[in-house]
Amino acid sequence: MQESDQSSKASRRAFLKSMMGTAVVSSAVVSLDAQARIHAPHELETLQDYEEHWGFCDMCYWRCGLKVRTRDGKAFKIDGNPEHPYNKGVVCGKGNAGIQVAFAPNRLKQPQERVGERGANQWRPIPWDEALDKVAHELNKVKEKYGAQALVMIGHGTWEKPYHRLAHAFGTPNTTSPVYGLCCGPRAVGSMFVTGRNCTGNETIDRENCKYFLMMGRNITESLHNGETLGWLDGVANGAKVVYVDPRYTITASKADEWLGIRPLTDHAFLLAIIHVMLKEELYDKPFVAEYVVGLEELRARVANYTPEWQEAITTIPAATVYRVTREMAAAAPAVHVYSPRRLTRTSNDFGISWSMSLINTLFGTWDRKGGMFTPQTFKIPEIELPEFPHAHVARDETHGDFNFNHTPFSVNTEGKILRADGAGVPGRWPIASPEYGLTNEMWKAMAEQDPYPLKALLTAGGNGFTNSTDYETVRKGLMNMDFYVACDVLPNEMNAYADILLPESSYLERYDDLQIGGAKEGFVALREPAMQPLHDTKGSWEICKELSKRMGLEAYFPHESIEALLDDRLQKAGHSLAELKEKGILKKPADDKVNFPREFGLKSVFPTPSGKVEVIPNKIKELGMESALDWDEQPRPNPGEFHFTFGRVGFHTHARTQDNIWLNYLMTENVLWVHPDPAQALGLVEGDTVDIRGRDGRGGTIKVKVTPRIRPDTVFTVHGFGHWDERMTTAVGKGLSDSLLASQNREKRIGSMSMGMNMVTLRKV
Amino acid sequence: MVAKYVMLADTTRCINCKACEVACRAEWDTPLGYSRDWVKEVEYVNAKGLPEVQLFPGRCQHCDDPPCVEVCPSGASWKREDGIVLVDHAICSGCELCVPACPYDARWLNPVTNTISKCTFCQPRIDKGLQPACVETCVGHALIFGDANDPNSAVSQLLKAKEWQKLVTDEVNIGPNHYYYTAGKAIPDAVMPKLNERHLSGTLMENIVNPLGTLGIGGMMAVFLGAGIKKLIDRRQDVSNKEGSHEQH
Repeated sequence: MQESDQSSKASRRAFLKSMMGTAVVSSAVVSLDAQARIHAPHELETLQDYEEHWGFCDMCYWRCGLKVRTRDGKAFKIDGNPEHPYNKGVVCGKGNAGIQVAFAPNRLKQPQERVGERGANQWRPIPWDEALDKVAHELNKVKEKYGAQALVMIGHGTWEKPYHRLAHAFGTPNTTSPVYGLCCGPRAVGSMFVTGRNCTGNETIDRENCKYFLMMGRNITESLHNGETLGWLDGVANGAKVVYVDPRYTITASKADEWLGIRPLTDHAFLLAIIHVMLKEELYDKPFVAEYVVGLEELRARVANYTPEWQEAITTIPAATVYRVTREMAAAAPAVHVYSPRRLTRTSNDFGISWSMSLINTLFGTWDRKGGMFTPQTFKIPEIELPEFPHAHVARDETHGDFNFNHTPFSVNTEGKILRADGAGVPGRWPIASPEYGLTNEMWKAMAEQDPYPLKALLTAGGNGFTNSTDYETVRKGLMNMDFYVACDVLPNEMNAYADILLPESSYLERYDDLQIGGAKEGFVALREPAMQPLHDTKGSWEICKELSKRMGLEAYFPHESIEALLDDRLQKAGHSLAELKEKGILKKPADDKVNFPREFGLKSVFPTPSGKVEVIPNKIKELGMESALDWDEQPRPNPGEFHFTFGRVGFHTHARTQDNIWLNYLMTENVLWVHPDPAQALGLVEGDTVDIRGRDGRGGTIKVKVTPRIRPDTVFTVHGFGHWDERMTTAVGKGLSDSLLASQNREKRIGSMSMGMNMVTLRKV
Repeated sequence: MVAKYVMLADTTRCINCKACEVACRAEWDTPLGYSRDWVKEVEYVNAKGLPEVQLFPGRCQHCDDPPCVEVCPSGASWKREDGIVLVDHAICSGCELCVPACPYDARWLNPVTNTISKCTFCQPRIDKGLQPACVETCVGHALIFGDANDPNSAVSQLLKAKEWQKLVTDEVNIGPNHYYYTAGKAIPDAVMPKLNERHLSGTLMENIVNPLGTLGIGGMMAVFLGAGIKKLIDRRQDVSNKEGSHEQH
């Protein structure tokens, strides 16, 4: 009874209410309380008679397994599911703050129709039936006038899947997810061409047993995914050496043995020099190369000039360091890993960086070896049978992680099909970009310019084009060009302010979603079930799509009566049931060293490339005339008085979507600009000063300064996701500066993804 | 044997992700603007001229000799046999004398309850055999909690296996039960405890008012007792006088 805040609070509240006197006032207090999270402190409440519901997180895209505590029909605490391989029971600050997504006072609470100008935030509430009728009518109108391909669907969330299905059923190929063109798409491309396998710093690294991590800007402690970070920390605790390469000294750097403060945009030069030393000193895994690799001699010729001495002038990393790091890695191989950054949309040649990382990991023979990269287990749950999608180039399979590249993006057959407007996977445009995920940046451009064909309707499921991209004007123009825009979301943001119809979604604590099927060392299938009934007049995405399909004559694509029926149908086909999954929360296929690490047992690795071998200079890339991607591509440098502009993450915010969460905003209300003490002194800046920061194109704004030795003198940094301007984002609005105003608007030359790191900025004290 | 609960923080595994802080907030419904626990990020330039960052997750240190208990005029702050320092909210008047008394800044006045709040090591949870909320959710497994008197507990094993430090100085050494592993690095001054100026009023309470009060209560007891005894003696005398006079009759 020592922490009896609850009882005393209750009595104090009752006392206050009685003091207020009028029934009107106290009933208002009661009704406010009804919307609020259950105030559930202390032993009287949190630990007494609660229910637990299964879920997986939606605060970032790693999707940790959850158990949600509820009582009296309200969720009040999120815990980790210890059985889930992605988080092993731990939940980060973001995950713990998920409760405040559901209970946010500014949730989208009922369908709304725009009554003012686009983006002016004037709305009228309308009933669901009217809203859905209108959406179906308007989308069909666009289809009739311009064809089904005029619909663009952009999804950003763990619940985007039904919208992709609906859009593909509607007949458009133009569905995209920003995760590819704006974030980590390029990370995977190199590995897919070289090995046919995903080797990206994602799920399939045996971190616990790795002995040497070369972290290429992978800020694994702040751009954090629970299980990945925990496994990495275990590896470090088990004695792995960490060399951290980043212009900024991050918390990850503080865990490393060595920090190499590389000049921004020059990772490729550093990696090429490592390959050069590996080949020159024959430090690669010779038996592996003899058995699995083709094209090594060609590679040798290509990297002949990329000496450690050559890279020194570019990266500012001493040549001796490159020799030493390469030799140290060779000594620890195959338990080594060149760790890719999570986001690899930085330079004009991210493909070259991705390719180089894949070469180093592969030539050290790390595949299917302890401490290297393992083969994940999969838990097979068949998809439901559906009629054919006439123009969807590829359907997504669910296997492990965020990506599945089983459909090689460069082998799309476009015969008889409408080509994607963003050019992803389209010959002659961006043939090596994945049409499964699309190039969202190029799609915005296509919408703004109405090229290569009219794009007149937009359906978004989550996401925020303004803050995940760098080009406000293109996004705005694209939105204004739409005949009709329907936004489905849980919370308000700058992009959905432009919608004609705004459909409110239930939060991830209030709904079922499709199964989470994943692969780590263990294979698994996990359940998201509602921990509570929706607090407002909201629906889940499957429900919304099902309702729309009925109104658009696409019922055949949504054959189930309810999402529970869909889940049960899928599970039954695999010999399980929804009832069983509801009981256990997760079904698993146990880890098996023989499956995960076949080469430790004398078994063979499989590389699903066209030749069946590791292609260090991939044939397909030669056919496309893109071998030059492996060559160093000179990157911009700051002129005197200019700085490289960089941005990144902290562990308790995701993208630009958690700054309005009251619990997370409390931890960081605004972002600041990191400036090294030397230039700060030259500019007369001290900690807390405000500067006006401008890019070469004149865009920018004002931001407070943090003076710190944790960054190179020629570089500035800020945390991503701040600087919101939508008045509905009551907590985040007007705080900090959006890095989207300062990131460069370049394109990667061969993939077509964004290159956000190429801008140079100047500072002026305000 | 009675348990002795301790918290270990392996700072080499802390990543300042704030999972502990948010989990604590969610578990105990802490009002915004306050937190029962924290992570301090200290950055400095080392002898080689390179930047360094150290992270110190912290909370009430559940000291062996807690000044918060000493200064508490109502007796609401108290220490359980297993070492956990607690606040009895039914008694706490919210006078805030204990707030500056704590050299770790672990206590604050909760504006909702008007009583003092702080970390309890999740006493209700541990009494049910659960881990504290911060420990259960710690992404890096940096926080470890348990009974130091149980030789088989994880904390006992770890205390033996590694070199741990406590946040103590020559000036402030009150037996904290929160241990830190820094892989041999010195703990920066910024996270060390400091005697609070405002602690003076608490010291006054601790050294003068409370002893005087004790004296006062003792004095009152003595007065009442004395008065009672005197009354008893008087009564007896009275009776014997009357009896005597009766005899004389």
